[in-house]
Amino acid sequence: MLATLDRRVLLRAVLVFVIAAVGVTAVLTMGGAAEAASTDPSAAATTTAATTGGTNIIAQNFLNGIVFGLLLALASVGLSLIYGTTGLSNFAHGEMVTFGAMLTYFLATQQPVSLPLIPVEFTIGLPFIPAALIAVAIASGLGWVQDKVLWSQLRKRRVGMVQQMIVSIGLSLALVNLIQWWMGGRPVRLIQAVDPRHQYGPIQIGNQTLISVGIAVAALVGVAFFLQRTRLGRATRAVSDNPALASASGIKVDSIIRIVWIMAAGLAALGGILLALYQQGMSFDDGTQLLMMMFAAVTLGGLGHPYGALVGSLVIGVVAEMSTVWLPPDLKFATALGILILVLLVRPQGILGKAERVG
Amino acid sequence: MSDNVILHADNLIAGYLPGINILNGCTMEVKQGELIGIIGPNGAGKSTFLKSLFGLVPVREGSVTLAGEDITNLRADQLVKRGVGFVPQTNNVFPTLTIEENLEMGAYQAHKNFKKQLKKIGELFPVLIDRKSQRAGSLSGGERQMVAMARALMMDPQVLLLDEPSAGLSPARQDETFVRTRDINRTGVTVIMVEQNARRCLQICDRGYVLDQGTSAYTATGQELLKDPKVIELYLGTLGA
Repeated sequence: MLATLDRRVLLRAVLVFVIAAVGVTAVLTMGGAAEAASTDPSAAATTTAATTGGTNIIAQNFLNGIVFGLLLALASVGLSLIYGTTGLSNFAHGEMVTFGAMLTYFLATQQPVSLPLIPVEFTIGLPFIPAALIAVAIASGLGWVQDKVLWSQLRKRRVGMVQQMIVSIGLSLALVNLIQWWMGGRPVRLIQAVDPRHQYGPIQIGNQTLISVGIAVAALVGVAFFLQRTRLGRATRAVSDNPALASASGIKVDSIIRIVWIMAAGLAALGGILLALYQQGMSFDDGTQLLMMMFAAVTLGGLGHPYGALVGSLVIGVVAEMSTVWLPPDLKFATALGILILVLLVRPQGILGKAERVG
Repeated sequence: MSDNVILHADNLIAGYLPGINILNGCTMEVKQGELIGIIGPNGAGKSTFLKSLFGLVPVREGSVTLAGEDITNLRADQLVKRGVGFVPQTNNVFPTLTIEENLEMGAYQAHKNFKKQLKKIGELFPVLIDRKSQRAGSLSGGERQMVAMARALMMDPQVLLLDEPSAGLSPARQDETFVRTRDINRTGVTVIMVEQNARRCLQICDRGYVLDQGTSAYTATGQELLKDPKVIELYLGTLGA
């Protein structure tokens, strides 16, 4: 009894200390608002603007976290849908993010480009928006091809999930090297012009980022509408719940999974394009590096839960960006993954995951 | 084959793993509107037999016909289209979907009739309509069984396959399930049910099949099987008589 009480008192003391420390640091940081320099990479080009306004670093980092979280959600919602409907942890999802950005650059740049093994240089030079739309459409098509040629065949042959996951790791390695071979090792910028930031009260944001956020929100609302309000979407949730029962109900499970692959690849590509705009560049392995954050977001939100990816991504984004107020930026993703462990210790099914009753 | 035979399984050999047969020649003939009970000891292949009728276990030899048309090894969604419904023993609802959404999935292939069917099913299961916005994952075993049956009935099947519908239910709930099955059968649906609760099942069945080691050993009316000394000795036991 005494031991329990002691532990409780100790925990409360630690909690009070942490809250006090956060409060004091926040006040001190707000005092030094004039020195605020966002860790957002896009701020680098406009440091002058960031240091002259009355920017509150906490509000700014919170906003950066929301923006990053929304773009991460766009990339990870497909990962969650694929996991939900097939049980596959698709390690090759990050490359679809990179592919979206790279293909947009390939279609839009005024620089000469080429294809692997074809020694001819040419310039397509489409305007940015049609290039991005075509890239999303091609990426969606690639999702269809991937499922048709590879994943549906493995499912048909009843290849186990661990084996399929290993295949996806191999595919990820192959794709990342293919993208490097195709586009080279240097980061590409989709739009050359600098996006000037505007001051809105205590925060700054550029028009390009605002539009990106608008597109991400619209796409995510679209996904939610699809899942909740359309018959096909409800069937997708049914397949996610129980594929065998879905089939016994008359749903063509393979067709639903095919649609999920098309959507997932398209959303990942769109996420990649918007991330490349936000970060002012995309390297051949950026998507691969983002994969761990996507997995963390999906797990944190509730594995396989359709809206878990959104909630998880927002938490990861905000925690990662907010942590840079107090901790070195190099640790921001480590902090986000630390939060993942903490949340899972308290709520093993993730934030939105529901514990099912047995019997 | 007589004219009103709706489902005919001829000498089925089937199994889950290559080279290992669970069914070693099961034959069954079901007439339109019959209520059939399949009983037998553990491991006799009862559930496997039912699943092989529904294309969930690959049939290696033999054939299944529905109203004279070959349906052997068709996909489940193709069988639903042809008027066969199936209620699995476990995992028989979509837990994150509401009751109404579960029923909607049952009518997935005939979504234009959903509202009409929902009204019709509501008369058989009024409690489901009262609680249609509740998540199926929060229901008890008996309530889930009800949702599962209602879902399978949404397409107006000619033949309904039930895999141990009374499993895990209290005796009172089991009785309710058997009565409901009989009621569904009386609306004209041919029902084939696999049951562990053999005595209760045979009481309501028109005919029973006794499976033993993957073959259909006997068939007779439910009442005859209940009185058959061999069936009593081997499967029914004498305590519950």
